[in-house]
Amino acid sequence: MIAEAFARRSAPGLALAGEADRIARACHAMAARFQDGGKMIAFGNGAQATDAAHLAVEFAHPVTVGRRALPAISLAADPGVLTGVARTAGFDQVYAAQLYPLAEPADIAVGLSPDGRCENVRRGLAAARDRGLLTVALGGGPMPADHALVVDSADPRVVKEIVVTAYHLLWELVHVFLERPGRLAAEPAP
Amino acid sequence: MTHETLYPGLYAAAPGVEEVLAEVAGSTAEKAREIVALREETGRLHADRLAGCAAALARAFAAGGRLFAFGNGGSGTDGHALAELFANPGPGRRPLPALALTSDVAVITALGNDIGFEVVFARRLAALGRAGDIAVGLSTSGDSANVIRALGEAGRMGMITVGFAGYDGGRMRDRVDHLFVVPSSSVHRIQEAQTTLYHVLWEAVQAA
Repeated sequence: MIAEAFARRSAPGLALAGEADRIARACHAMAARFQDGGKMIAFGNGAQATDAAHLAVEFAHPVTVGRRALPAISLAADPGVLTGVARTAGFDQVYAAQLYPLAEPADIAVGLSPDGRCENVRRGLAAARDRGLLTVALGGGPMPADHALVVDSADPRVVKEIVVTAYHLLWELVHVFLERPGRLAAEPAP
Repeated sequence: MTHETLYPGLYAAAPGVEEVLAEVAGSTAEKAREIVALREETGRLHADRLAGCAAALARAFAAGGRLFAFGNGGSGTDGHALAELFANPGPGRRPLPALALTSDVAVITALGNDIGFEVVFARRLAALGRAGDIAVGLSTSGDSANVIRALGEAGRMGMITVGFAGYDGGRMRDRVDHLFVVPSSSVHRIQEAQTTLYHVLWEAVQAA
């Protein structure tokens, strides 16, 4: 069972290599937002709430000494706000309702969902797009976003593992572009 | 390794943005393949240990044990993900009692402020835990002082201790009953392989 469980990860893991160009383009766009003073706002449910927290700490407290600390927050980190909004506006609104007062047009929204079907994450991404934010979606199903990574696995745990690698790469490549700000002005081909 | 050696194209004489993107995409694909290989190696290295740990955990849960997970930063979020997976595994799976010790900001800041950051997990574990429970510590270096201290406390209390580390295992090596060291020196690749390790451990506990 254990050998089979590990083997099950290899194909979706290798498929991520095929997404490298898409990831690089997302990072170029994200770096331009950080350069313009934008911040990152991440959100998701359950395991993906822990990923949102991981993303926020990854960018805010760089693992490599000498890298810039970047502004990043998780909308799933404060149970006071989360349960407060859920009580007054409903659980589907917990991220959109937090985004409206907090988000600025230069910001980046990162929505995470294991199957792309989380209504509150989808609404959060829509609210972000409304405000002019750059939108990034990471998960196991299509979501409305400027840059979306879809991991091809029906196992939410495998999806999470590949997404962890994806956001580690996002962090690393954002810094590669930030260290060469001259590259940020140029717009790549769509 | 410097960025110059990782991404030489970025530092060449003004290549176009498309060339830079291609360069960066190449190294990204390489890292994606690197974690696949590391995950496979980690699986081969720890298959028997995972089976033994899953059996011990299943026995502990059956006897009324609870699981407590803890770590700092990204590893702290892994503690949350691990606890959430055991406690709320979804339809058709058995929920098991599990809690992340980083979950309560009031307790963490109170202990950190009044005593010191080294005791934030150990003190909470001493209050909540009992013999027969399970303590799971996560640290990429294996050396985080508060994680090591809590694992020591758990051992003294008669809890089953499980450790996830990277590099050479650090001080975790002689502190835990079940040790899972990811053979890598990249914090990112270690965390990614650790995520697989605790997912597979959970799956094996469910199957036990």
